[in-house]
Amino acid sequence: MAEEQPGGSPRADGDGRGDEFEFHTGTIRPSREPDAIEFIEVHKSFGRNHVLRGLNMALPENSISMIIGPSGTGKSVCIKHIVGLLYPDEGDVIVHGKSIPSLSDAELFEARKKFGVLFQDGALFGSLTLWDNIAFPLRQHTEKSEEEIAEIVNRRMREVGLGGEGAKMPNELSGGMRKRAGFARSLVLDPEIVLFDEPDSGLDPVRTALLCELIKEVHAENGGCYVVITHDILSARRVGQHISVLWKGRIVESGPADELFESENPFVRQFLSGASAGPLGME
Amino acid sequence: MVRTAAERAFIPARHVLEEFGDMMILTARTIWSALRPPYPYGGELVSQFLFALRLCWFPLLVSTVCLCYAAPGLQAANFLTLFGALDRLGGFFVLGAIREIGPNVTAIVLAGVAGTAITADLGARKIREELDALQVLGVDPVKNLVVPRFLALMVVTGLFDIYALLFGIFGGILAELVNGQPLGPFWATLFANASTTDLWGSVLKTTIYGAIIAIVCCYKGMSASGGAEGVGRAVNEAVVLAFTAIFAFDYVFTQTLLATHPAILVIK
Repeated sequence: MAEEQPGGSPRADGDGRGDEFEFHTGTIRPSREPDAIEFIEVHKSFGRNHVLRGLNMALPENSISMIIGPSGTGKSVCIKHIVGLLYPDEGDVIVHGKSIPSLSDAELFEARKKFGVLFQDGALFGSLTLWDNIAFPLRQHTEKSEEEIAEIVNRRMREVGLGGEGAKMPNELSGGMRKRAGFARSLVLDPEIVLFDEPDSGLDPVRTALLCELIKEVHAENGGCYVVITHDILSARRVGQHISVLWKGRIVESGPADELFESENPFVRQFLSGASAGPLGME
Repeated sequence: MVRTAAERAFIPARHVLEEFGDMMILTARTIWSALRPPYPYGGELVSQFLFALRLCWFPLLVSTVCLCYAAPGLQAANFLTLFGALDRLGGFFVLGAIREIGPNVTAIVLAGVAGTAITADLGARKIREELDALQVLGVDPVKNLVVPRFLALMVVTGLFDIYALLFGIFGGILAELVNGQPLGPFWATLFANASTTDLWGSVLKTTIYGAIIAIVCCYKGMSASGGAEGVGRAVNEAVVLAFTAIFAFDYVFTQTLLATHPAILVIK
């Protein structure tokens, strides 16, 4: 992003309640890195539920970007749009200059090789051992020999602290172990973009902190665009280099983390401080 | 008020049509994926075939013997005894057991036992986001999960139909013996009325039932949402929809078979 600009949609919400976006300045503060992922005026509905309502968002290259916001505001839906599991009703999602919704099945298959995704509960395949789960992308996408695969899998398992646990089945693992295993699986292809869907959900504070440290360490080693979906402010403070605050399907504000934490926007201030008083209520 | 009532009627109707359309698309994608190389689903196909075989053989045996013994066996025998025509029971079994009870009981048992297991399995995978993970890892869930279940259920229901016919006729033999009748007239009228059209019609119908069960149950599993409760709801909907689709298809198939093969209308 070259300069600060308003990124909100000029279009009023379909039901005419224009004031529900009074805190959505849509300000996109400039980032030092070029954009790896862009959402352009994206709308997405599920039945009557209009989840993304003209979302404009840019996630920079070589940064850990956090998408934060209240529950049910469309954060996980964003991840599914990035990897082509969902398509926008309107608008476009651009990843490294390519429009994801316009790709053919074969092109999408190729494009997905650049992604690693850590789903909320790890999404390990229940019929495979932990080791086979982590080896799965390598067997699926590469021609590597079993020796080469073993070397990569063992290294990644050690990195996430699961060395020696490879023979276990997913149902024998704790929630934290499943997440770390999912993280290892998302890294084995050395992806350019890694997406984390609420990596802290269901974890105790210590394990959340350890996982955040792990994300930072792996990113420092490998680089690339890491996108973390969370509503945990502590996690955002720990690992976030770029923050996008999402509410009611649109960006309230986004930009480098240090600048966002100093924002004067009442909603951003309330959310990032975890205060009960402010624009966000229980509704 | 009128608008609200119209919306209430229109939204469920639209939902039903959308689901029907989605299932037709899934059927087309499944057939296309099954025919188009590569064919990575061999192992899963064998595993699903054996799974259905293991789960269904005993419930199907009990269901066919008991139902054929009770319905066309005892009930029809009572009726035929009135006319002193109990020797016609074999011919009645061609109509009852081979054309209808065998295929329909096979479909009901397969949908209730194997179909629900498929919906629950795929539904749980959907809820755990395994299906999303598969897609992100470049694995087509239709080719790798739906196709083997589709083919396995088609083959297994077709084969189970013959098994159901044999045990159904065994139910008829029991009814004859209970009524103190010799079996000669039973076999004579059975083979006088049975034709190859009856046999291939029965097997073909049941094979298509297998395809219907597989598509309905896979679709409901893969579109499950809302946690464990959502999986339970999907299983329930899959059974209801599979039974409805099977019986609707039975009407269309029977009508078409009788229209195109009028010889089987003649009772000898």
